[in-house]
Amino acid sequence: MTAVAVDTRMPRAEASARLAWLRERGMGASILVAALSSAFGVVLISATGFIGAMLSADPYVGDSETLAFVLSFLTTLLVGVAVYVAAIVTANTFSTVVAGRTRQIALLRLIGASARSQRGEVARQGLVVGVIGAVLGLVAGTALTAAGVQLMTALLGLRGVSYAIVHGALLLPAAIVALTTWAAAWAGSRRVLTVTPLQALGGSVEASHQTIAHRTARNVVAIVLFAIGGGPLALGIVAGLYPPLGVVIAFAGGIFSFTGLALGATLIMPPILRLVGRAFGSSATARLAAENALRYPERSSRMAIGVVMGVTLVTMFAVALESVKAVLTMSGGGVLPTEMSTLIDTFGAIMMSLVAVSAVIAGVGLVNLLTLGVVQRRRELGLLRALGLSNRQVRRVVLLEAAHITIAALATGLVLGIAYGWAGAQSLLGSVPIDPVTPRTMNFVAPAVPFWPLVIVVAATALLTLVAAVVPTRLATRVAPVEALAE
Amino acid sequence: MHISSTDLGLAARVQQLTKSYGSGEGEVTALDDVSVGIRRGEFTAIMGPSGSGKSTLMHIMAGLDAPTRGRAWIGDTEITGLGDLELTILRRRRVGFVFQSFNLVPTLDALGNILLPFDLDGRRPSALERARIDGLVESLGLGSRLRHRPHQLSGGQQQRVAIARALATAPDLVFADEPTGNLDSRTGREVLTLLQTASREHGQSIAMVTHDPIAASHADRVLFLGDGRITADKPRLTAEEISAYMLAAERGTAVTAAGGAAGRDAAGRAATATVATASAEVPA
Repeated sequence: MTAVAVDTRMPRAEASARLAWLRERGMGASILVAALSSAFGVVLISATGFIGAMLSADPYVGDSETLAFVLSFLTTLLVGVAVYVAAIVTANTFSTVVAGRTRQIALLRLIGASARSQRGEVARQGLVVGVIGAVLGLVAGTALTAAGVQLMTALLGLRGVSYAIVHGALLLPAAIVALTTWAAAWAGSRRVLTVTPLQALGGSVEASHQTIAHRTARNVVAIVLFAIGGGPLALGIVAGLYPPLGVVIAFAGGIFSFTGLALGATLIMPPILRLVGRAFGSSATARLAAENALRYPERSSRMAIGVVMGVTLVTMFAVALESVKAVLTMSGGGVLPTEMSTLIDTFGAIMMSLVAVSAVIAGVGLVNLLTLGVVQRRRELGLLRALGLSNRQVRRVVLLEAAHITIAALATGLVLGIAYGWAGAQSLLGSVPIDPVTPRTMNFVAPAVPFWPLVIVVAATALLTLVAAVVPTRLATRVAPVEALAE
Repeated sequence: MHISSTDLGLAARVQQLTKSYGSGEGEVTALDDVSVGIRRGEFTAIMGPSGSGKSTLMHIMAGLDAPTRGRAWIGDTEITGLGDLELTILRRRRVGFVFQSFNLVPTLDALGNILLPFDLDGRRPSALERARIDGLVESLGLGSRLRHRPHQLSGGQQQRVAIARALATAPDLVFADEPTGNLDSRTGREVLTLLQTASREHGQSIAMVTHDPIAASHADRVLFLGDGRITADKPRLTAEEISAYMLAAERGTAVTAAGGAAGRDAAGRAATATVATASAEVPA
């Protein structure tokens, strides 16, 4: 009550000024990212619950505990990936926003604010953004669920399926999203601590390349996770001979090693980014674009790893299922029953489209990263325009910057996806007799790379690149040399 | 009637140039019917207090901004009416720039910055240009710094890299906008001497915008701007003479403000007289 009383007494202008930061570039995108992941969680939990209710209402199927377990496990995994990608995007956004606020923070430091209080302020803004996004996502997700349940009931002519759309479990993803956004904003605001009051006085030249902070602890954890994941993964592949032990061991190994890869993004991605940048050639636009992506290697790496996760998971499902189909076809004497083929394809399509939600979140992050990069580079773009960079060249630079990250992520994701997909298929089907003459020996399951799903992955990445470049390109081509130089 | 810039011995010129911002009551005139030429091979300083229109004049002359009325030429090319792409290519090939600060692209090393106009043009420097660049690097003392990035260079070194870049293409005209504004006085003098040398020994046309009398005293010619008009056009002056003129002009404006329009011409005459007297006392 006290707070409300204070609020009402506060002058209007002051109250709106206190929330003015919400209009800052990057905040809207962070709310969108939080809303997307929260809505995704709500919809998936509801879908799982609804399918469960549908099945238990089915007199022939009844309660299937295994299916319920598998469904809830997959839900947790998919939502987990989405939330993780969202957290990466948010941390990146906040670190970019902090970089843009350096002067302002330095001024406050000059006046006497402590670095810790400044960082706390940024984290608090993260919490507000997270809560707004989570609530929006909760509402949107619930509305979507209600519409979906109505549609399904009508379409399938379901009767007697009782399913409560609004229930307490839906608060869980929303709460997790709000908290991770808070944590991500905290993680992304580390740079606040390095701002010195002197920077308010200006004149200092920006370092060309921010050095990657040597976070030994995190890198060690990443390597250890990758190592302890690699063991079981290999073991699972070998143990594929004894189903279903192999796939379980391999799965655990896969989770550990992949988490290790994600945490170690700043170890893995910079060399790949550098390689891709070199492939762009030596023209001025190519070099400017390539250097820009490496200006903040940490930011670029984390952004790329978000796209990598999406590409890897989609590719993994595609390759694993295709390999499974290939093996089953062979062991079935050359023909795969149509029903089984349809079942596998349907499962694959559903999984891939669900994983694609994470890719969309990563896409929002990419747009955000590029946009903020352009906004914070106005002076540099003005200088380049004065020196003779044409608007067409500006467009090329921004597009190449986007392509730089997506191509590096696509290549990494395809390689990882094929490897993981093959590992999954091998550990699952290593014992399926392909050749009836020599049964129960370790079979080599050749990784089958399906054509169309991979074409879709590549096309989607290309589309993401083009879409991600639209807004930043518009901003960049609007920079007038005089205006930017006068700043 | 067709008199080209070349015939006049000019590297750039403007004719009846007017630039105003806003409209109606709030209209501000930055340049008021200015006609002037920058002579080829000369080092010209454009002086004036803040708001005198000197930066606007430079921006329009360099093809960075468009005038409200009037025409502008770089060499024999009329730049008023050119499209954005044509202007961009013109700046790239025929104009050099040295700004007060933030002159260099932070992600490129010194050599990359010097070669940027060529790279943007999608070509390598010719053997002749290569020799010219080598000579510049040598005379500017940048040999050991070529692989350094801007943040690893001192302010003076950054400014020298910018000068090397501006001179590398042997442009029609180099525009320097307060090139010493961010430097200590010794480094500033070095930079001015470098510009002076480029003009004297290599015939480079240079136009420098400044409000620093010491900087302007390095120039062969000093143009004074006030309230969007050229108030004086003088040959080489000492820093003392320039300061004296500016002080007189400043007092004149103060008189104008206090005593109405009548005082203006008198103040202008007084200022000119001061410069004349000063010139007589201190021979250039």
